[in-house]
Amino acid sequence: MSAITGIVLGLGVLAAWLGALAFVRLATALERLHAVTFVNVAAGAAIVLAALLTDGVSSRSLKCLLLLVVTLPVGALLTHVTGRALHTRSGEWR
Amino acid sequence: MTQIWLTAALGLLPPMFIALWAAGHGTLAHRLVAVELASSFAVLLLIALSFAFDQASSIDLALTLALLTLPGTLLLAVFAERWL
Repeated sequence: MSAITGIVLGLGVLAAWLGALAFVRLATALERLHAVTFVNVAAGAAIVLAALLTDGVSSRSLKCLLLLVVTLPVGALLTHVTGRALHTRSGEWR
Repeated sequence: MTQIWLTAALGLLPPMFIALWAAGHGTLAHRLVAVELASSFAVLLLIALSFAFDQASSIDLALTLALLTLPGTLLLAVFAERWL
């Protein structure tokens, strides 16, 4: 179980690194929003899965699951609002 | 098991620093997105630290930060859209 937890956790950290590198690599702010979503979904899901594997069903792991359930729709909402704000600021959509 | 989580927390620090550095450089649009990324990394880091130090109650910090990110980033985005 410990090895599986380590692998899942490693995948989560790898996803975080990949998101950060994509963030640096992508040029515009609207493109960079994709990196934020990737980190929220991929790294978040992997780390919460590792938390469930570590603790089993406990109050802490259930709070981690709640965190993921909150983060996914809130992240989508924030990405939409940020993208709309940036699009409006650029003057293409008034 | 806590060693694995401590290693993961240390592994999450460089991406966090990249996001924090980006939040201080560039245009307003880039900074806004960087703040969003940094808050995502901060939540993940707090989860990892909660398991690394085996403090079950400190997971509430991550949950609180995730809930406070919504109005915080929303306000920043509205300010960026209308007034800044």
